Amino acid sequence: MKKLAILVTALFGLNLHAQKLTISGYVKDEMSKEALIGASVVNANTQTGISTNQYGFFSLTIPASDTIELIISYQGYNIQAKKIIAKEKVQLEILLENTAGTLGEVVVSSGKNNHNIQKVQMGVIDVPLRAIKNLPILMGERDLMKIIQLLPGVQGGQEGTTGFYVRGGNLDQNLIQLDEATVYNPNHLFGLFSTFNVNAINNVQLIKGGFPAEYGGRLSSILNITMKEGNKTKLQVAGGIGLLSNNLTIEAPIQKNKSSFIISARRSHINLFIKQFASKGNSYKFYDINAKMNFELGKKDHLFISFFKGNDNAAYDNPNSLNYTTEFGNSTGTFRWNHLFGNKIFSNTSIIYNDYNLALSTSQNNYYSLLYTAVKDITLKTDFTILPAANHQIKTGFAYTYHQLSPASFSASIPRRGNRLTINKTGIYKLYSTELAFYAADELEVSKKISVNYGLRVPVFTASGRTYFFIEPRITSKLSIGNTASLKASYTNMNQFLHLIPNATAGLPTDIWIPSSDKTKPQSSTQYALGIFKNFKNNEIETSVELYYKKMNNQVLFAEGKQLRININLDSLLAYGKGESYGAEFFVKKNTGKLTGWIAYTLSKTSQQFSGLNFGVTFPFKYDRRHVLSVTASYQLTKTWIFSAVFVYSSGVAFTIPAGRVSTLNSGTIFEGNYYVYEGRNNYRLAPYHRLDFSASNKKTVKLFKKRYEREWSFGVYNAYSRQNPYFVYFEIDALTNKPTAKQVSLLPIIPGLSFNFKF
Amino acid sequence: MKITSRLSTALLGLALTACKKDITINFPADHNSKIFIEGMLYPGKKPQIYISKSNPFFSSKVTPQQVFARGAVVKIISGPTVDVLVADSVFNKFRCRWEPFYRGNITAEYGKTYTLELSFEGRTYSASTTINQVAVGIASIEYTPEFFDVYGGHDGVIITITDHPGRRDYYRFQMDRMIDSSVHHAHVLDRFVNTCVSGPAEKFAVRDIGRIVFNDENADGQKIVMSIEVAYEYKKGDKGWIFIQSLDKNSAEFYKDLDDQLQAIQNPFVEPVFLTTKIPGATGVFGSAVLSDSVMFIYPRNNP
Repeated sequence: MKKLAILVTALFGLNLHAQKLTISGYVKDEMSKEALIGASVVNANTQTGISTNQYGFFSLTIPASDTIELIISYQGYNIQAKKIIAKEKVQLEILLENTAGTLGEVVVSSGKNNHNIQKVQMGVIDVPLRAIKNLPILMGERDLMKIIQLLPGVQGGQEGTTGFYVRGGNLDQNLIQLDEATVYNPNHLFGLFSTFNVNAINNVQLIKGGFPAEYGGRLSSILNITMKEGNKTKLQVAGGIGLLSNNLTIEAPIQKNKSSFIISARRSHINLFIKQFASKGNSYKFYDINAKMNFELGKKDHLFISFFKGNDNAAYDNPNSLNYTTEFGNSTGTFRWNHLFGNKIFSNTSIIYNDYNLALSTSQNNYYSLLYTAVKDITLKTDFTILPAANHQIKTGFAYTYHQLSPASFSASIPRRGNRLTINKTGIYKLYSTELAFYAADELEVSKKISVNYGLRVPVFTASGRTYFFIEPRITSKLSIGNTASLKASYTNMNQFLHLIPNATAGLPTDIWIPSSDKTKPQSSTQYALGIFKNFKNNEIETSVELYYKKMNNQVLFAEGKQLRININLDSLLAYGKGESYGAEFFVKKNTGKLTGWIAYTLSKTSQQFSGLNFGVTFPFKYDRRHVLSVTASYQLTKTWIFSAVFVYSSGVAFTIPAGRVSTLNSGTIFEGNYYVYEGRNNYRLAPYHRLDFSASNKKTVKLFKKRYEREWSFGVYNAYSRQNPYFVYFEIDALTNKPTAKQVSLLPIIPGLSFNFKF
Repeated sequence: MKITSRLSTALLGLALTACKKDITINFPADHNSKIFIEGMLYPGKKPQIYISKSNPFFSSKVTPQQVFARGAVVKIISGPTVDVLVADSVFNKFRCRWEPFYRGNITAEYGKTYTLELSFEGRTYSASTTINQVAVGIASIEYTPEFFDVYGGHDGVIITITDHPGRRDYYRFQMDRMIDSSVHHAHVLDRFVNTCVSGPAEKFAVRDIGRIVFNDENADGQKIVMSIEVAYEYKKGDKGWIFIQSLDKNSAEFYKDLDDQLQAIQNPFVEPVFLTTKIPGATGVFGSAVLSDSVMFIYPRNNP
């Protein structure tokens, strides 16, 4: 191991100089010893600094002096200044105090860093966990993905679902990772909630552009969710009772200050009541379990074992509307080993397993559709972070993934007699593929004003005897404009080897995963972005404007008129084309004080062009929403009461409707031909989407059996003015009169919510 | 607990009960109406060309009479012969309505090429077809009370033909029957009540054309089995005369597109099909079909 450290150090010319001092260590929460991800560690003498990584680690090499003063800050925590007597190597464990102290206290000042200005990377949003906990809830359930949809450059999909679309990319172009394991379907309850249990989450970061070389395999975004490690100092129990589900989280040290575990589970209880009160044929149950253990094996080694399992089982039967039954689940497991080579090289090696499967049976009008899609991955990856000097960081590594996909689908009219077909899961043809990627990236400060992050990723994908090899250059640069502003630009090239084929017409989820093949080429994108970032009032208010232009090739849609059939090669049903998206994203965020929140506005345009669709003419992307606005606000009225509100507005999604009709007298008699004249795909817009939500939370520390515990009541109203937002539109044509009518289906009217949470 | 449970159920029901409402869709006012032409020539028969104008999707003008393109100048030319067609109509006794068309005087002949020339509202349209398809022989006809295809489960007939080798052929089913007003449509028009004929004693002719266009891809010169869903209800002993139409390529592609589109209209899980034109500037087709010899078929049982 030592030899490897020397070799890597030599390769990157990292000879230690006597006049340099390296300070490394971890930044953690004082109470729980939970790693603080993205905390800022700055040398006050030189104003150079670094952020902690996904494990709370930092390494700062700076010119030696007698005394060094470090300023450590993290949002929601008190700023800490630490004086260090100089010696060649210093290892620290920095513990920050949460300003909230106890749940419910007013947060008026805390660490306000200027990461958004100083870091080279652009298109990155650290999702504030406090916002997830404070913002309005749907039916008493807090949801991470609902908050993601409120960020600039991000928009939600259909009414009420947790899917999100980033910078004109499709749903599948988002890589959602929970402790590095891919989660292919992050939904509960028909997509109304995500599978992520807020109580078990430590950190959430969304990257939508300027992708560092360490990330690949998706075109539009990376959503990194890091689970908590578990309290290393004491037993802690938190839980909640909502209208739909109950949850319980237990975390405790295994060996005090050395190792810990967390287990968090959530289970719906609504099915017990559905059985009693709802009509026969309706049922719903879901659960999810997050578990994690971590072990510090000395100062240089750290092991993490994470596990996640979520499952949904639902049947919804409405004779006048949608009907479907579904069962789906995600399971992931991650084993990670952190190792420090010296105090400048941090490595992480992971073995990751994930298993996703979804079986869906739906019917709409007089037709039914069956779908089964499954993805199993096994991944081995190793990443090295080398920190030779302050403001110089090198990352390199590789990842190998073995994919096994099982897609099957079918649709037909509902037979007047007899049984419908079923999909035999064991008989589905499996598609195997491998994905190998190497990367290297270097981030350095060229001058006091200019910093650059450049890198290369080389993915190699093999499936069905066909190999694809790409070179993906990435570069992001930053020009500092004083201490409070910076200008950033980025260029990224990405490839994606798995495709989720979206169905543009059905109101129900009929998407299916397939791998790239000889015919279905990997999706690719080139993205240019330019952004200006400016903070005001000592970083209390962050603002940014980002412009982007993205070109996407080898986009996939179902070809016109192709019928889903069992045992058919899905490639034969597909059409291929390209996409283009450009836009401007405006963001104003207030981080601290009694009133916190943000305003995000995105102006964008996304179009697609397929030679086999729409007569080969360019057409709008289904989720081409010209305007997307979200306003969020939380106000801490007293020590115990927080009021929050969310308003969202977005232009209507595109939808294909016929412009005219013709009747024929020589076509098939069985339907007495009445045919449609289409003038353009996605030629019509559904009504704009808008909604206002409110919530109020009352948090208090109270005593029960002489012990203090924290409790919280949350009241919420979703869709306060009961806007009937369109879910989808379909046509009914009376066979006798030939008169068509357009019907709009809406899902969620005004819905009050209530939940009770506790922690001790 | 009971209150919580009831509240939970009510909320979930509220959330998941899809709310449906009729909406008005405003199309751009400049929707261009398109000419729709449907002209099939049959050897030995006089031309009947259906010409109509496409209507805005929500237009209330939906009957063949309302959409008929009146005032068109329609010619069919073959060599030196120019046939100027005249407006005519037939009364469809099953649907109780007039169906207008342009009728020619010449009789279409096998082996000849015909050109359609149409002038309407200042624009001209032109298309040609050559009647050179080979009539196919029907080898067998069987009745089936149930078969499944991509469109679902149906009852109907199974017809076997032997394809002519060495060329690409396209086939379509046709059944001519005499029915009375007690016979219902088997599918979308099953609610239709016939009020324009005097009663079960009055028989009238209907033509049932199959929706699917079959071809001999991967079966050139071999037996082709066609499962056909029939359009009218039947009783044991009812008779029909079955033909197989051999279509030209243009017509086959057009009617296949129509069927694919119909499938997409009906099935929300299928992408919409945009009709591609076979006649420049218009929508529709000008083509031909050669009929097989007819075979009489007697239903062996009542429809299920």
